Amino acid sequence: MSMTAFLGRRLLQLIPTLIFILVVVFVLVRLLPGDPASAVLGDRALDADVERINRELGLDRSLPVQFLAFTKMVFTGDLGNSISMKIPVTQLIWERLPITMLLTFMAAMIAVVFAVPLAFIAALRRNELPDNAIRGAFQVGLSMPVFYSGLILLTVFGAKLRWFPVGGYGDGFIDHVYHLFLPAVTLALSLSAILMRNLRSAIIGVVDAEYVTFARAKGLRSGLILFRHILRNAMISTLALFGLSIGTLLGGAVITETVFAVPGAGRLMIDSIYSRDYPVVQGLTIALAILVSVTFLLTDILQAWLDPRVTK
Amino acid sequence: MKPFSLIASSTAVLLSTTVLAYAQDRGGVMTYGRYADSMFLDPVLNDANVDIWILSNMYDTLLLPTDDGQSVQAGLATDWSVSDDGLTVSLTLRDGIMFSDGSPITAEDVIWSLDRARNPDNGIWNFLLAAVSEVTSPDGASIVITLSQPDPAILPALSVFNAAVMPKAAFEAMPGETDLEKATAFAEQPIGSGPFTLESWDRGSSLKLVKNNYYWADGDDGEKLPYLDGVTFEIIPDDATRILRVQSGELDGAELIPFARVAELEADPNINMELFPSTRIQDIIINVRPELDGEANPLSDTKVRQAMNYAANKDAIIQVVTFGVGTPTSSFMASTTPLHTGEGAVFPYDLEKAKQLMAESAYPDGFTASMLTLAGNQDELGIATALQQMWSQIGISLEIQQVDNATRTEEYRNGTFDMRAGAWTNDIADPGQITSYFAYSPTIDALHSGWKSEEVDSLYVASQSETDIAKRTEQYARIQEVFNQDGPTVLLYETPYPVALQDNVKGFNQIPLGNNIFRKAYIEAE
Repeated sequence: MSMTAFLGRRLLQLIPTLIFILVVVFVLVRLLPGDPASAVLGDRALDADVERINRELGLDRSLPVQFLAFTKMVFTGDLGNSISMKIPVTQLIWERLPITMLLTFMAAMIAVVFAVPLAFIAALRRNELPDNAIRGAFQVGLSMPVFYSGLILLTVFGAKLRWFPVGGYGDGFIDHVYHLFLPAVTLALSLSAILMRNLRSAIIGVVDAEYVTFARAKGLRSGLILFRHILRNAMISTLALFGLSIGTLLGGAVITETVFAVPGAGRLMIDSIYSRDYPVVQGLTIALAILVSVTFLLTDILQAWLDPRVTK
Repeated sequence: MKPFSLIASSTAVLLSTTVLAYAQDRGGVMTYGRYADSMFLDPVLNDANVDIWILSNMYDTLLLPTDDGQSVQAGLATDWSVSDDGLTVSLTLRDGIMFSDGSPITAEDVIWSLDRARNPDNGIWNFLLAAVSEVTSPDGASIVITLSQPDPAILPALSVFNAAVMPKAAFEAMPGETDLEKATAFAEQPIGSGPFTLESWDRGSSLKLVKNNYYWADGDDGEKLPYLDGVTFEIIPDDATRILRVQSGELDGAELIPFARVAELEADPNINMELFPSTRIQDIIINVRPELDGEANPLSDTKVRQAMNYAANKDAIIQVVTFGVGTPTSSFMASTTPLHTGEGAVFPYDLEKAKQLMAESAYPDGFTASMLTLAGNQDELGIATALQQMWSQIGISLEIQQVDNATRTEEYRNGTFDMRAGAWTNDIADPGQITSYFAYSPTIDALHSGWKSEEVDSLYVASQSETDIAKRTEQYARIQEVFNQDGPTVLLYETPYPVALQDNVKGFNQIPLGNNIFRKAYIEAE
């Protein structure tokens, strides 16, 4: 199969996935106990107020009618208005999702920058001191809860050493990156541990392969062997893991965003679930689903490039 | 001029300008950490404390709550009086008042704003102005409010956020068909006449207010208010991070400090740990319906409820949950509420008495009941765990159910809960609001508990139009007596608002109703 056909097939597969998500999110959010009017108005809500607000929101209509209206809106690019904040959901997503995307991207990059060289060192010095030290350090990173490691980083590098701001998001792109550095490191801690361990064992598996021995015998430079023969082959499984981890990373962003006061989509999602803000939960889930799907697609393309057998 | 005298005189000039600057320098931008962002900056259609507590900085009312939150003082109106029959309120508008865009505030704006606020189709606060039948202005400089029945709470009602004066023309010029659509557009760039006006709003991150140069009030020093050039609210949901930012000096103040951290911040020489008196009370709400799930409900027995109250060691709970910051409630309403009565705990801890009451009740062998607490809320979990242990000694086995807010609200509204942790803060300087929710059964079945007292219901109705303060005081004394002894609650404690401020922040106030008042705040120069 050609690369184009492969791409086409993967894109077509996205459509049923997204329709499935559309149905699931619509049903799931309504299966939660409580309704938006009661959630927003809280304990003091009077029956008349709750009824009036549910009527205004169209929540007194039957579920199929609501679903049709919802689907129609999604396909016209209108995700409705937030119930608690009144403003359009698309506006909220545009404001908040790029922040989480930047945070996730930075975390992924930091994780890779840490994981790849250290995996090499650990693999090539297998069971020696460097290997044990690296694996030990990453084990700590992997097992520490995000809200705890985040708070430690904040206290040490923010409040005490003053190298980084104590949370927030700042103004302007450079300032955003500066503010997001500590939260990104926090997020990257566990991911880089997973990547490092996976890549380490993949390298160990490849280092002794016949083609590597052959390349050495041919007298190829060790740098070339390292990158073309070892890394490229060892990367295949790690890349798949990396792609899958992006979804987890987006989930981890929820807690990190709370600890670091980053106004991203993760926090918006949590707040909206608590306040039963159906339009925001629906819209954000769809946006995140598209994002994760696109990430998977990109991972697939990269994998196909690394290992042409994938498109077969 | 000789070099020396040049230096001397220039030093003198420098010194004098420095001193002058020091005397006048009450400006600056105050950054304030909040646990959650505002949602909707419309005074009438909002429904959450995150909006209510900061709205008065942007929108002004005819009357203002006093600093102690118990009474009213002059706002956009300079004088006010209520007629002897209690049916007419006359107010004189202040001369030369303007909105933050420089346009004059007219009687028409006032009439339109109050009419919008009392429209039963608008929001959930219109009940505060339910007695108003007409708002007019005979001469453009005074406002006459006609009531359908006397309302002893009408003056405080005119100082509540929903009675804010808004510019009619600017509001009506907003895009949209309905009031909600126009309000949504207007609330993005609100125009009011409060001490500050909205400069920018990055949702979930920060909300910036700048000084309203057209604000009418002067400070005690004769200087124009507000002193600050602006207030920046930063949204920091995590308690530990919010505190860390105050400690690192990045914030001038932060709200809702967890009680567990109060003592630590009080010991910090750079931080002024304020505990502002509040109207917040914490209690347990009990479902007293005779049957629940088709079975007889032990909680409907007054003796059982009194036993539970006696067996609850309030001082111990205050120590465990609030680290000693709270005080036992002496009535169902906080001691800062006007017409509050009582002193000391209504049911002082007495295990023997509790056991005796249980023995006299229809359930001498005890029973099992459940309590809803908010998942993730450590205070509520702490209270429930303490009560679980305390009530086990009188044969009550308590199951704690941690649920999210929407779930709890649903069970609460449906009346299907056994017990739940509850808290309340007043929005108006009058006992009427809390009483209508807690004790007057037609509003929400007395906290959805199913409790009903004919005497309390009729006393409440009478109190709503009683203009004789002595009589009204008696009515509320009796309401509190009946409710406290027999009511559907376990009365626990009241707590102040814990706010951490940098030592150089002066003049900030959070009144008992919760409103954050920045108009007299300033940052003292070092």
